[in-house]
Amino acid sequence: MNLAIRILLRELKSGDVMTLVIALILSVSTVTGIGLFVDRLQSSFELQSSTLLAADRVIRSSQALPDEWRQQAHDFGLATANRASFSSMVFSDDGLQLSQISAVTASYPLRGEYLVEQSLFGEGVPSIAGPKSGEIWVSSRLASLLNVAIGDSVQVGEKALLITAYLVRDPGSSMSAFAVAPRAVMSLSDLAATEIIQPGSRVRYALMMAGESNVLEQMAQWVTPKLADNQEWRTPRSGGQGIGATINRAESFLLLAGTLAVMMSGVAMALASNRYVKRHLTQTAVLKTLGATPNKIGQILFWQLCAVFALGAGIGLVLGWFAQELIALSLDVLLSTTLPPPSLTKVWVGLMTGLVSLVTFCVPLMSRLLTISPLTVLQPISHLSGRSGLLYLIGFAGSFALMVVYTGGVLLPTLMVVSVAVVASLVGSVGFGVFSLGRRLSAGRTSGWQIGLASLRRRLGANLFQLLVFTLIIMLGLILTGMRTSLISDWQGQIPENAPNHYLFNVQKNNVEEVKSQLTDLSLVQSDWYPMILGRVTHINGEEVSELFPPDTNQPEMLERELNLTWAKSLGSDNQVIEGTFSAESEGISIESYVAEEINIRLGDTLTLFVGGEEHTLPITSIRKVDWSSMQPNFYLILPQAVLENFPANYITSVFVPTSKQQDFYRTMSNYPTISLVNVGDLITRIQFIIAQVSQAILLVLVFIVTSGALVLVASVRASLDERLEEGALLRTLGASKQLIQQAMLIEFGFLGTAAGLIAAVAAEVCLFGLQVFVFELAPSFHPLLWILGPVFGFTVVTLIGVFAGRSVIKVPPMRMLRAL
Amino acid sequence: MKSPQSIAIKTEQLVHTVSTSAGELTILKGIDIEIKEGESVAIVGASGSGKSTLLGLIAGLDVGTGGESYIYEHALSNLNEEQRATLRGEYIGFIFQSFHLLPSLTALENVMLPAELSGDYQAQEKAMAFLQQVGLQHRLDHYPRQLSGGEQQRVAIARAFASNPKILFADEPTGNLDADTGKIITDLLFELNASQGTTLVMVTHDNKLAQRCQRQLIMAGGCINEPRTRSNESESDEVSEA
Ligand SMILES: Nc1ncnc2c1ncn2[C@@H]1O[C@H](COP(=O)(O)OP(=O)(O)O)[C@@H](O)[C@H]1O
Ligand SMILES: [Mg+2]
Repeated sequence: MNLAIRILLRELKSGDVMTLVIALILSVSTVTGIGLFVDRLQSSFELQSSTLLAADRVIRSSQALPDEWRQQAHDFGLATANRASFSSMVFSDDGLQLSQISAVTASYPLRGEYLVEQSLFGEGVPSIAGPKSGEIWVSSRLASLLNVAIGDSVQVGEKALLITAYLVRDPGSSMSAFAVAPRAVMSLSDLAATEIIQPGSRVRYALMMAGESNVLEQMAQWVTPKLADNQEWRTPRSGGQGIGATINRAESFLLLAGTLAVMMSGVAMALASNRYVKRHLTQTAVLKTLGATPNKIGQILFWQLCAVFALGAGIGLVLGWFAQELIALSLDVLLSTTLPPPSLTKVWVGLMTGLVSLVTFCVPLMSRLLTISPLTVLQPISHLSGRSGLLYLIGFAGSFALMVVYTGGVLLPTLMVVSVAVVASLVGSVGFGVFSLGRRLSAGRTSGWQIGLASLRRRLGANLFQLLVFTLIIMLGLILTGMRTSLISDWQGQIPENAPNHYLFNVQKNNVEEVKSQLTDLSLVQSDWYPMILGRVTHINGEEVSELFPPDTNQPEMLERELNLTWAKSLGSDNQVIEGTFSAESEGISIESYVAEEINIRLGDTLTLFVGGEEHTLPITSIRKVDWSSMQPNFYLILPQAVLENFPANYITSVFVPTSKQQDFYRTMSNYPTISLVNVGDLITRIQFIIAQVSQAILLVLVFIVTSGALVLVASVRASLDERLEEGALLRTLGASKQLIQQAMLIEFGFLGTAAGLIAAVAAEVCLFGLQVFVFELAPSFHPLLWILGPVFGFTVVTLIGVFAGRSVIKVPPMRMLRAL
Repeated sequence: MKSPQSIAIKTEQLVHTVSTSAGELTILKGIDIEIKEGESVAIVGASGSGKSTLLGLIAGLDVGTGGESYIYEHALSNLNEEQRATLRGEYIGFIFQSFHLLPSLTALENVMLPAELSGDYQAQEKAMAFLQQVGLQHRLDHYPRQLSGGEQQRVAIARAFASNPKILFADEPTGNLDADTGKIITDLLFELNASQGTTLVMVTHDNKLAQRCQRQLIMAGGCINEPRTRSNESESDEVSEA
């Protein structure tokens, strides 16, 4: 062991072991960096969606929740708050108004904050503390309807409460609950005194909790079996409305990036191990002739690996930590979002990656050192068996296992393996063709071309391997770039600029024209107005819905409840007929494509609807695809006008209200107390913020990965440097000029880089298709940019790196070079 | 056989076959040789005739696919690689055509290596003494790439003698050197060999060099021929030469 360490120290000086250490540093730092960063982003997403819920977890119930539950949550170490929401009349001296009231404990909200204002219809300033006992905060709308102001008292049930602020936003209100409606918040301690909660009153109770995710998980396990039918355990994801999908995709992307990082570390490790073993085959054989027993060699290698791991993993961890800290810092500067600190439990991922790739790539290859016959020192190198392809398989199996553990599934890793296989076969066939084409082209050219192209063919095996590595790395970069582009365009498409941020519904028919002109006076953009009539689907093709989809099974959403039905003269631009035809005179139903699929219904099938006491059986005459992200009012079913026009209808529209006009808009709408107003702007802003944050993060991760990819490229060029050095020296002793060799190398690397870029573009496009369809569930798209980026990037970077890393071939005098061999 | 000296190396019908992509290739076709302790023997023959393979097998670097080979009383085919390595460490020194110094070690460290492997704590002093004998005491900390071919081979000679071997094997020790340097190296080799009393087995192309050995074995097509047929006559001849 003593000797092992001494040999190791001597080897460290020489740089051969350093190649291994560097590969390990690369693996550990990339995976650690990305792992920790993903963890931080995830916590940040959790936190942000938690603000929409005002807590990390909520139990909702239509009955008062047992106090033991709150006590238990408290005992687990969670912060808790209670809320009771109900509708009640609020009285002032001038009148009365039905309002939505929340009664909350002082600890509410656990996440997020109120927005309050001292003047009517203001934008609001944040406040964490809620109303004190004896106080009430009312929305500007309610205040103007009751004709009261700050400092006045209002009566809720038997209790008089003092208005101390105008409520702009209550943090716990998600899209459906938060209306710019008559609303108020009061203290839960005053609730009993109001005496309005009687048996049978409709009240929604909520127990809110916040804390560490593992504790929340404990609480979930404790309480889930106790939940009654009317009680519900809610997470930020379940109530996220669109944020959930955005975040899921972002996480998938980051996982993808992490997986690619694992794969790249594998490549780096394979290259380094190969170089190490190749250079040590003869050396080990020499050691053996000197009397080193296999045992001793084993010991030496073991201690070397230990030291390499300690050094590589140590430095890798530190570097990875700094890298993600740097990304987080730049996020802070660019978007002023401070990410929560990473949890140290994620550090093992990087360490594991380092260990597994060292053990699976390096150890099998190193076993060749143990078994190599010392007789090989007397044979020319060409007699050494070079068959290590099978040993790499062990390494790739190791990487695959890591990816499975890392992503917690086999979908992404399998996709990666398939694409690597595709790339390998492409490289095999295309590469071979290109090289022989190169040979034909090289005939009769200037000698730089000749040497460059000829050396491609001479080292066919080595060059194919190098081409594979280049291609894989470029492909990884292209995949990330392409995925980033399509994710971001998808997200941006998700919410168009100036998308409506307020819904108006329950507008009476006789008010429609008046409201329309009021909105026009405020020069607000409003979407089409649609009548809304409630109805229920009872039969599909004459069969009862309750038999087709028994209520206790997973019922399609459309059949669960009463539907909003409408009629229309024409379709909005966010509707696209994909089957059949739509016209105002149609005598059938137009159905949205997603629900049509869900209840498995086709053109010509019939639906029976129960509307206003009448049954109507109608055929499906068109199927529409709806872009829900347009934020325009849209309907699952559009019926003929003739069927619906005799029923009383409410009207709905959506409006985009810029912040500057919000005050005027609310003031106007307060003249129509019966119109319901829902503000989704807050949600939109939050989604847009998350998108901005994620895009930025993804860009940084991309830069990170591409940088490590470049390092792997350098490593792979270095791996072939020995041969090039030999050849370069040889050519120069034969009288080749520096320029000639430089030109030859340029051509060789240029060729390799361009070919790699092209193949990578093909493979990335294929892979992106798979990712979009199977993993991200996006519409597949074509990425023309990649086809330019791939070859251009391949040519420039590979040539630069090749010439840079191989500059010693040109600089060093041939005499020294020959001696070094 | 009448000789009082013990036998350092002996082979009985040594055969070696390797499998190549083109099929089985028999490199050695039944070799019988005997080399006495203290003898110097040259193996000469055309390139590809199997000289290096024979040298490697009798040195215990590997075992033949058939027959037997002995180093002193040790039958090599009975030993596993672990035991053969120990045996090599104890009995054998090696000099190669392409020097085979470890590139990551300095001259001194290279020479120390065999002694270190056998756990000798005076490795450094011994190594320095031998480097002095080959005239490289001022190049101790130089790496192989900083030394000329002749200097590298001198380091290799120092390394070979540093483990006090009973038998020294040399595979074309001057093959990569110019004539003058080759001469210096062989002088050094024979000088040290004489002073240490080692048995020397050398593969060479160089007729002059072969003639400096007491006996010459000629290899051709995987078989051995001595210049004169193996007989009592030749043995007495050698004795008279000695
Ligand atoms: N492991 C091996 N695989 C294939 N061929 C070998 C192997 N070892 C030796 N040979 C071949 O056997 C023949 C004898 O080799 P060698 O002993 O090195 O000859 P010499 O040293 O006399 O030049 C050569 O043709 C060589 O190519
Ligand atoms: Mg030979």
